[in-house]
Amino acid sequence: MPIVVNLDVMMARRKMSLNELSERVDLTLSNLSILKTGKAKAIRFSTLESICKALDCQPGDILEYDKEKTNP
Amino acid sequence: MSNSNNFVFKGLQVVAWIIFVGLCIEAGALIVNFIFSFFNPQVLHNLYQKLDLSEMYTHNKWIFFGMYSFILFIAIMKAHLFYMVIRLLSKFDPSKPFNSFVSDQITQISYVTFSIGIISYIGRQIAKSLEHYGYATDNLNPFWTDSQAFVLMAAVIYAIAAIFKKGVEIQNENDLTV
Repeated sequence: MPIVVNLDVMMARRKMSLNELSERVDLTLSNLSILKTGKAKAIRFSTLESICKALDCQPGDILEYDKEKTNP
Repeated sequence: MSNSNNFVFKGLQVVAWIIFVGLCIEAGALIVNFIFSFFNPQVLHNLYQKLDLSEMYTHNKWIFFGMYSFILFIAIMKAHLFYMVIRLLSKFDPSKPFNSFVSDQITQISYVTFSIGIISYIGRQIAKSLEHYGYATDNLNPFWTDSQAFVLMAAVIYAIAAIFKKGVEIQNENDLTV
């Protein structure tokens, strides 16, 4: 998928672990892991909002469009 | 899942088991009769449920074996159909119905139902045409009276299978939405 999730980059910048983020955004570890590994098919605005709030960033910092990566 | 739903599914499972056992007995009896008819044609006077095909056998034994193969195939397929229904009902979870097993099983049920309908219809048409040649095929009618019903049922089940297939896709997408 051409949409790349840079959640791990932002987490590294904020020095935040997956467990900590999971507690702050009230998402399960497995769901966060799905998002982090790029397996997610969609993301709710409410989830994006809570992640942006927790990591103090913009949606564009987490999501990126890379046209080189096409759908399988 | 509500208790009434649970009760209905348990009831359906019991009914499916009863029908499956009945169909297995029918298919088993027809198979035994078929094997016996090879070695001892005297049994043809009194086959399963007093079916008498001795006249057909004396006319032409290949036509007898052909027609018997039709009723045998239909009986086995009906038993197989109910085995698939039992498997579906035993693994079906009404709280999370959309999974690939249920979708595949419903699709296969529609194929088997369609096969039964088509084979029954072909068998009935052949039996009708044999009547013109002086064969008595009236006693075979109970085996293929419901061919149209099976074809219609196959169409309905296929539509349900298509809905389930789409449901599985939506469920997968929903599972991967965070």
